[in-house]
Amino acid sequence: MTILSGRKIKKIYGKKATAQEVLKGIDLEVSKGEFVGIMGPSGSGKTTLLNVLASIDKATEGVIEISGHNLRTMKEKTLSNFRREQLGFIFQDYNLLDTLTVKENILLPLSISKISKKEAEQRFQEITRILDIQELANKYPNEISGGQKQRTSAARSLISNPTIVFADEPTGALDSKAATALLSNLEKINKDKKVTIMMVTHDAAAASFCSRVLFLKDGQLYTELYKGEKNRKQFFQEIINTQGVLGGDGYDA
Amino acid sequence: MTLSQLVFRSMKKNIRHYYLYFFALIFSVTLYFSFVTLQYNPSVVEVSDSIKISAGLKAASYLLLFVVVFFVLYANRLFMKRRSKEIGLYQLIGMSKGLVTRLLVLENTILWVSALAIGVGLGFLSSRIFAMVLLRILEKDVLVQLIFSVEALQMTIFVFLALLIIVLIQTAIGIRRVSLLTLFTANAISEVNVKRFSGIQMLLGFIGLVLIGYGYYLSTTLFELESDNVNMLFYKMIAILGSTIGGTYFVFRFSVAFVLELIRKRKRGHLSIQDVLSLSPIMHRMKSNAMSLTTITVISATALGILCLSYISYYSAGSSAKQSIPFDYIVLNDQGEAFIEALKEKKIEFTQTDIEILDVEVEKKNLFVDDIPAGFSVETKGFMSITKLSDVQKVLPKLILKEEEGYITGYSSMMSEIIKWEANNPVQLTTLAGEENLSIKELIADSVLGYFLTGGGETLVVTDEKFEKLATDSSIQEQTFWSKQVGIDLVDRSQLKEVQTIYEKTTNNGHFEVTKDNGTINSVDMGSQEEFRLSMLDVYGLIIFVTGFLGLAFLMTTGSILYFKQMTEAEEERASYTVLRKIGFTANELMKGIYIKQLFSFGVPLVIGLAHSYFAVKSGWMLFGTELVMPLLITMSIYVILYSIFAFLTIGYYRKVVKDSL
Repeated sequence: MTILSGRKIKKIYGKKATAQEVLKGIDLEVSKGEFVGIMGPSGSGKTTLLNVLASIDKATEGVIEISGHNLRTMKEKTLSNFRREQLGFIFQDYNLLDTLTVKENILLPLSISKISKKEAEQRFQEITRILDIQELANKYPNEISGGQKQRTSAARSLISNPTIVFADEPTGALDSKAATALLSNLEKINKDKKVTIMMVTHDAAAASFCSRVLFLKDGQLYTELYKGEKNRKQFFQEIINTQGVLGGDGYDA
Repeated sequence: MTLSQLVFRSMKKNIRHYYLYFFALIFSVTLYFSFVTLQYNPSVVEVSDSIKISAGLKAASYLLLFVVVFFVLYANRLFMKRRSKEIGLYQLIGMSKGLVTRLLVLENTILWVSALAIGVGLGFLSSRIFAMVLLRILEKDVLVQLIFSVEALQMTIFVFLALLIIVLIQTAIGIRRVSLLTLFTANAISEVNVKRFSGIQMLLGFIGLVLIGYGYYLSTTLFELESDNVNMLFYKMIAILGSTIGGTYFVFRFSVAFVLELIRKRKRGHLSIQDVLSLSPIMHRMKSNAMSLTTITVISATALGILCLSYISYYSAGSSAKQSIPFDYIVLNDQGEAFIEALKEKKIEFTQTDIEILDVEVEKKNLFVDDIPAGFSVETKGFMSITKLSDVQKVLPKLILKEEEGYITGYSSMMSEIIKWEANNPVQLTTLAGEENLSIKELIADSVLGYFLTGGGETLVVTDEKFEKLATDSSIQEQTFWSKQVGIDLVDRSQLKEVQTIYEKTTNNGHFEVTKDNGTINSVDMGSQEEFRLSMLDVYGLIIFVTGFLGLAFLMTTGSILYFKQMTEAEEERASYTVLRKIGFTANELMKGIYIKQLFSFGVPLVIGLAHSYFAVKSGWMLFGTELVMPLLITMSIYVILYSIFAFLTIGYYRKVVKDSL
């Protein structure tokens, strides 16, 4: 079942004279339960694509549908509601609110939904158990480590049972151990709970957790790799090879 | 790029940060210049010879200067902090501290000189308006000239250049003292410092509330002095000030966070979006905001209190005059015939109220509620004017007396605060036949006799029978100089001016004289009610003008400081808004939380300030006038309205930040 589909997505920044086409007509489809990675050299439009798909930014042209809803026809308010109820977000720099405790941060997306407190509490318990941050509930973000912050951020993105989770370089600010722990958690959630995840990354190791990896170059879809029956090591090798073909220069790291 | 180019570029880029600082400067210059100009305006200075208006204005301009200095230094400090990143960046790319200092000196100088020019221009125009307002308050009909005073200009330039130098020194020291690293992190360290709340903090928070409550309680009993120590009043005032100001700080520092923490704990992590944007940021900012909020609250409470009191005096001028001189004109015994004839001749309509008077010695010690403290010597026995019921009923028709009963009139609110009496107690009248008891039925604030007859005190009202009986007492006849007061009220009060001249001419400027059989002479000099009122206006009008002016300045400064602070907070919270918008909250949903936050940021200092000034005014207003409710309501409403304007301005700013955050 297709969860997300995009057709001829274009994004142009700036006015006529200085116009810069960042996305040059991208087509893609994501099915339910997929764990999709987006890779590409810096400036290839990875983050722009993610923002456009996630309705944070507006596409200049093209059609984007998430579980049958056309993003373009939605008004600002319905779009916000849609984002809050259907989408989850994990950002590179965690984006937690410093003045809230871990628990308050995680429950934030439910704060104006009609979900009962009991239900919310249940979900909170389940997610924090999976991500192993139960003990942190009453701590403030400045009292926990980067990895814990990112897992908190992940918990926040999952609390509303979203259709799809968008992750923008979630491991970018983590050391490799914390990064692996987070990605294993995401992989587990993806498998067990059938949560669809779309992740932008420049790290081949991170991408190797995905079930499919898209490669962008100069605002166009260059190629895609499926993990299939391969194990992570083989898939990792394949990703590295593709990166080499794409041109090794200009990787942001 | 040369230095001056850099300066202009950065000023253009920073115009958003600048404009409030700039307006604040212009406002300060305008206010100061127009105030100083007033002192040199001949139509203001020469309007009254009884009081030195220019001296009053001069004193006020020093106070104003104090406000301006406080404000400008604060604004500059905040301004510097907001730009710390920029300053750090200049240094990072290799500019020396000297060069950065020169850059800022140049910027500030440009800013100040233009503010000075604009401010003087506006001040020149506004000083005429201020002069007109002042003369209007004093009820003087004088044409106000538009003058440009060179002295005022020199004074203003001197003051503001001196202030500029201080600001520049502050800036230079600021740059010199900090290292690159601290410059970059200045924003982060100072504001949000998330910490847990300990039990001790909760206790202190509770103590804060208790302190304020205690201060308020003390203020309501200010004049109830139990001990014979005359300094007691002074000690009490110090205690009130100490506990309310200390309490205010504690409330801001601990109580607010304490109460909010309780609310938050009860939610067990399930915060609404409004809570996220109001509750938690306020809680965590309280530590760094406590001092400035306390200052703002105390300053505005003081300004408001003083403003209220002077407005009470001004507002009460009419009723105070009526209390002192109950009729438009008063003539005594039969010495006013000439005046009354003159009025009839000129066909001026009036009503005449004759009140007969006897002077009797009265012992009043049973009226006192408490025992008189030993340290105070109060005469409880003395001469009192006595009037009869049927005369007084012409003025106060509701009075009814039985045999052996009496009223006391002219027992003003000020008297009632200092000397506490209670009705339903007896007084003793000294007559030739011995002491006669009279039960006091009621104490009445209105007065029926002029203050020169009663010595500013009370009058005893007795039944007509009693009065006639006393009138036959030969010793009382002997004591009584003034046996009749004739009160004249004009039907058409627009003739007051005309009648005033008649009154002065026919009564020898209100001079009355009586010679007793035994040769003693008694004389009084009195004026009309209107004359009395105008003489009060002269004094209180100037005071209300000056305090109103300063109150406005205080309000504007505290309001702008709150606005500055909120602007900074909005910038600091921009990142949070971005996160929330990304997660899927609409700008309107965020604004709902911000409304609450703003209601709090402005509301709490305002409410505490209002409460402080209310209790301050309540404890001593009767020394200033006769009306409390209206002046209090009017001044407080003006304050609330002006504060709300600032609150709306900041909400507008927040809205912009929230809109731009995604």
